[in-house]
Amino acid sequence: MLRVKDLESGYGPMQVLWKPSLQTKKGAITSLLGPNGVGKSTFLSTVFGSVKPWGGSIYYEEKDVTYMPTHKKVEMGLALVPEGKHLFPEMNVYENLVMGAYVKKASRHREESLALVYSLFPVLKERSGQLAGSLSGGEQQMVTVGRALMTKPQLIMLDEPSQGLAPLLVQEVFRTIQKMKEEIGLTVLLIEQNADASLSAADFVYIMHEGRIKAKGSPEEIKGSPEIREAYLGI
Amino acid sequence: MIGIQLAGNLTQGLILGGVYGMATMGLSLIFGVLGVVNVGHGAFIMIGAFTTLLLFTQLGLSPIIAIPVALVIGMALGFFFYYTVIIRLTEAPELASLLATFAIGTLLEESVKFTIGTEFRGYNWDVGKISLHITTLPMSKIYAFVGSILIALLLYLWFSKTRAGTAVRAVMQDRKGAGVCGVNVNWIYALSFAIGIGLTVTSGVLLTMFIPVGINPYMGGAYTLKAFVIAVLGGLASPYGAFFGGLIFGLIENGTYTLFALVPSLEPFAMTRFLSFLILLLILLIKPTGLLRAK
Repeated sequence: MLRVKDLESGYGPMQVLWKPSLQTKKGAITSLLGPNGVGKSTFLSTVFGSVKPWGGSIYYEEKDVTYMPTHKKVEMGLALVPEGKHLFPEMNVYENLVMGAYVKKASRHREESLALVYSLFPVLKERSGQLAGSLSGGEQQMVTVGRALMTKPQLIMLDEPSQGLAPLLVQEVFRTIQKMKEEIGLTVLLIEQNADASLSAADFVYIMHEGRIKAKGSPEEIKGSPEIREAYLGI
Repeated sequence: MIGIQLAGNLTQGLILGGVYGMATMGLSLIFGVLGVVNVGHGAFIMIGAFTTLLLFTQLGLSPIIAIPVALVIGMALGFFFYYTVIIRLTEAPELASLLATFAIGTLLEESVKFTIGTEFRGYNWDVGKISLHITTLPMSKIYAFVGSILIALLLYLWFSKTRAGTAVRAVMQDRKGAGVCGVNVNWIYALSFAIGIGLTVTSGVLLTMFIPVGINPYMGGAYTLKAFVIAVLGGLASPYGAFFGGLIFGLIENGTYTLFALVPSLEPFAMTRFLSFLILLLILLIKPTGLLRAK
């Protein structure tokens, strides 16, 4: 579904990505694992288009989208749940969610998407009139995920969704990711530092280190290799 | 006697304040969306003033017709300067955008000076006046006030009801979040800049309806200063805040005029500029986020 090959990018003179390649399988959860600061977020930002690629290629549904602007990618069904939430603090929960249905294709499915988000996160329906800035961290994360679902995506990319959440909420986040795959039929690209949780959720795992893919395989293969676990995951 | 004079001046102040407010909305919109402080603000007001003057004196067209003409000219200038200059500066350090907008302002002033000259001009648009018990108001001032309120209201409706307006609000509140929703942030930048400049040039029309004299290439400087004070009063990044900031500023300016006039050997008009700075200083010291900002 998504095919990234030899991607290069960075900030100013500093190169962050050194030709990592990655593929997601339709209807599966693919996880990109690695500690902080190895380029995982830059990878997602480059795929999404908020950071310009320097080289390499990005194919989505067999189309070359390497230099396609972000808003067109959203229209094609690519969604991002960014790190740090990025909600609209002065809009209420409902307005935040509806903002997710901004692109034309998504706006046609607005009501059904909204019903889906409320069924996934019933608490958001109760909070719908409340300003996003006044919600708890966990609820804000739900709005961020809900807003991404409102764009009517086929591929949803999540940037460290469990970061900063209490362990119980982390479980909740991973349960939701499972539901996205099983009940909604989404393809998921998940970026995480939380190795344990994402190894148990993912169907396929890539491990990133210093801007390069150092290992890949099924979760069982990764778990079964003490070298990989020790060198890159510290577990 | 003083009471009546004060009430009269406050009425004038409220009306001028509405025009001031409208004249600041463009500045706040541009700052709120792009984070660019338009130091050339006053030059665009000057363009609006000359648009009114030329349409009136050369073609005999009423300043009311100048309003939509100025809006179109302003938006065209806005798009032009966005795609030639500002587009390179949205990620640049503030100093770069300050210098660039200053340069744009100077370019406009000098172009007008070169083509039209530096003498002070004015026009006389007589559409009658109404006498209130406390003061006499020319109808042109009332039109300016009504025009300001209508434009502010239209902007409010555009912001809250339209798809593009909602996208502008989203970009103001979180640019990255808006990008995630599929908003074409660059287009929203261009549109906001164009609307901001369009509003500013239009406010030049309304200001000359209030003060139809003193039109010259360098008239904008005083308005830039006032607009900054008003924008800070209203919370800098909020166009509605700016409108109400303008009302308050107009009231203060005209109200204190009456009071300064009571002090012998004080030239009250000269004091109003001093007062602008004083207000700016006080707000920055006491409540730098702006008086009208909720947070």
